[in-house]
Amino acid sequence: MASIPSQPASAARTGSGSPAASLLVSLAPLPHDAFESTLSNLSQAFAGATVLVATPDQPVGAADAFDQTMDGSTEDSAGYYFDQDWASRYNNLQLLTELPAVPPPSAWVLTAADFLNAYKLAQQHGASACMLLGGESQSLTPEALRSLAAAVGGTGEGVIGEGGAPNGKGVDLAVPRYEFGPRDGLVNSAILYPVTRAVYGARPRFPLAVDLGLSLRMAERLAIAAQRFTASGQNDAILWPVAEAAVAGYTIAEVNVGRRAIPQPATPDLNSLLARITSSLFSDVEARAAFWQRSRIAQSNARPTQPAGGSDGFADLDIQPMLDSFRLAYTNLQEIWSLVLPPNSLLGLKRLATSPAETFRMPDALWVRIVCDFLLAFRLRTINRGHLLGALTPLYLAWVASHILYARSGVDPEYHVEELAQAFEFDKPYLVSRWRWPDRFNP
Amino acid sequence: MGHLTALALQLQAAQPVSPAALAPSVWEHMSAALRDSVYRVLSLLISLLPGVLALVLAIGVLTAIGGLVSYLVRRILTSLQFDERIARSRPTEISSSIQDWVPSHSPTVLVARTVFWLHVLLGFVIGISAFDASYSTASQMSVFLLPYLAHSVGAIILLLVGNIIARFLSRSVLIGAVNAKLTYARFLSLGVKWLVLVLTAAMVLDHLGVGGAIVELAFGILFGGIVLTLALAVGLGSREIVSRSLERTADRMPPRGPFATPEQPVKPEPVAKPTGTLRHF
Repeated sequence: MASIPSQPASAARTGSGSPAASLLVSLAPLPHDAFESTLSNLSQAFAGATVLVATPDQPVGAADAFDQTMDGSTEDSAGYYFDQDWASRYNNLQLLTELPAVPPPSAWVLTAADFLNAYKLAQQHGASACMLLGGESQSLTPEALRSLAAAVGGTGEGVIGEGGAPNGKGVDLAVPRYEFGPRDGLVNSAILYPVTRAVYGARPRFPLAVDLGLSLRMAERLAIAAQRFTASGQNDAILWPVAEAAVAGYTIAEVNVGRRAIPQPATPDLNSLLARITSSLFSDVEARAAFWQRSRIAQSNARPTQPAGGSDGFADLDIQPMLDSFRLAYTNLQEIWSLVLPPNSLLGLKRLATSPAETFRMPDALWVRIVCDFLLAFRLRTINRGHLLGALTPLYLAWVASHILYARSGVDPEYHVEELAQAFEFDKPYLVSRWRWPDRFNP
Repeated sequence: MGHLTALALQLQAAQPVSPAALAPSVWEHMSAALRDSVYRVLSLLISLLPGVLALVLAIGVLTAIGGLVSYLVRRILTSLQFDERIARSRPTEISSSIQDWVPSHSPTVLVARTVFWLHVLLGFVIGISAFDASYSTASQMSVFLLPYLAHSVGAIILLLVGNIIARFLSRSVLIGAVNAKLTYARFLSLGVKWLVLVLTAAMVLDHLGVGGAIVELAFGILFGGIVLTLALAVGLGSREIVSRSLERTADRMPPRGPFATPEQPVKPEPVAKPTGTLRHF
C-alpha cells in the first residue's frame, strides 16, 4: 500500500514520527476548491489540537513531493515530506493520503468501504474517535465540525447534542441534524426517519446522514459489518449506523450542525434510488428482527425543536404530475397492490384516487400501513422484490403530494413529519404482530 | 294316466320345431360381444399394469432417494458453511438476482431442493421409459400415444416456465411503464404477456409434435401481428417525441460541405431553475 503521510514541520511528533492525535477525519473525494475549504474549516475548528485527515485527494504539490520522495531526493527519515506552505496554513492537520484498503465507490452516501477504511486508518494511527464527512463537506461550518467531534470525545471537549453521555466521555455515535428546507430529504422524512424511530426506538432525524462521528468501538463494529459486504465485492453497500448502535446498546447523540449542502446522487432516477435505499433499509430491518420485536419504544409527544422550514417553501411546486402518477398507478397497479395491501388500505387508496387535488390528503395511518405491509411483503417475498419496491414509488409520490398540500394548508412540514413518526410508533404492534403471524386474517 | 302321457307325446311329435328357437338369441350375441370387449379391455389394462407399476415404483423410489440425497446434501453444505462462502464470493450484480430466487436467503436450501426435484424428475423419466418398454406391443395406439406421453413432461415444464416468465415480464413492464408515466402501460404489459404466452404455446405444441407446419405458420402470423401492432401503437403514440428529438439532433449538428461555416460553439441548454423542484434525498 503506497502511503504519503504528509505533515507540517511544526507538528509535534511521537517516537514513530506521527504526532499524537485523538481524532481521525475521513473525507470523501472533493473538488480542489471544496477540498481546500474543508481543510481550512477543519484547521479552524480544531485549532490547538492535531487532527489526522484521511483523504483520497492530494493537496497542491503533494503529487510532486511524492515523486521526489520515490526518487529518494527529499526523503526524510520518517518518509514524510515537508511543505512550508502547508505548514503555515494548516499547522494542526496531518494529512493521510494513503491508498485505501478497500477502493471506495464514489457514492453520495457513506458506504461500507468508507467505514472499513476509516476504522483501519484510525486503528493504524491510534485515533480514539473518527469523523466521517461525506461529499460537499466544505459547507459544514467549523462550529459544526467541532460539535460533531466533541460529541464522540474526539477533541477532549464535553459532549453536546441531545443524548450524549455526560462528563466529556463522548458518545459512540454522533449523528448530525441538518437544517433542511421543507422540500429536501423527502425520502428521509417519509420512510427512513419514521421507520428507524419506530423500529429501533432511535430518534436521530437523519439516520442516513452523510457525516458521522464515531467512537473507536463504534467504528470497529461498523467495520465488521462493512467487511461482510466488502468481502463479497459490495463496496457500495449502505450501512445503517443508527440501527447498529441501537442493537449494540451504544449511546447515540444528535448534534445540530446547521445548514449543509447535501450531495446528490449522480443519476437522479427516483425509481432506482428509492428501490435501492428502501431495499437496504428493509433488509436491515429484516436482519435485526430479533432485536426490534423485543425492544419497547418510549412514546414521546415531543414537538419539533428545530426551526420550522415553513410551509411557503412549497408555494411554487406543481403537485399535479405526482397526483397523475398516483392515479395512473391506481388504475394499473391494483393487481400488484392487492397482493401486498389489505382491503382496508386498498379502500383508502381508492378514496384517495377519487378525491380532487384540493382535498387530496393521505392519512398518516394509511401511509404507515402501506410502509408496514410493503416491509412485510419484502420479508415474505410475496412478489419479486424489484417489483414490490417499484410499486411503492407512486405511493410515495402520493405521500409527497399530500405532504405538500398539508404544508400549504398551514401545517408546519416538520410538525407533519413528527406526527407521522408518532403514527409509526403507535402502529408498531401491527408490524410485530403481522411479522410473527403473517397468515392471520387481516381485513 | 298312461293314456294321457301317450297323447301328449303324440302332440309333441306332430308340432314342427322352429329354427329361431334352436339358434342363440340376440341378447346372447350381445352379451358375448360385450364379454369379449370387456375381456380385451381387461387384458389391455392387465398388460399395462406392469408398466404403470414400474412408473409408480420408479417415481416412488427415486423420490425417496432424492429425499435422502437432499438431506445429505443439506447437512454437508451446512457443515461446509456453504451460505457464508457463497455470500463472500458472489459478485454484487448477481447477488440480488440470486436472492430473489433463493428460498429464505439460503443457497443451501436451494441446492437441496434442486437435488430433490431432479431426482423426482429422473424417476418420472425412468418410469416413462419402463412404461414404454413394457407396452411395446404392435398396436397402433402405442405408436401415437407414447411419444405424447413422453414429451408431455417437457411440454408441461415449458408451459410452467413460459407462464412464470410471462408473468414476470408483464409485471416488470407494467411497473416500469407506470413509473415512466406511460398511459398505455397496461396495454404494453398485456402485449408482452401475450407475446411470451403465444411463444410458449407454439413451443409446447412443437414439442408435442402437434400441428407441424400449421403451428409455425400461425405462430409467425400471430407473433408478427402483435409486434406490428405494438410498433404501430408506440410509433404513432410517440410520433411527436421522435420528431422533436430528431429536430434537436439536427439543430446540434454542424453543417457540412463546401458552404459550411466555421464551427460554432454549441450553446449549452439552459439549466432548469432549481425552484419548483423537490429533493427526495
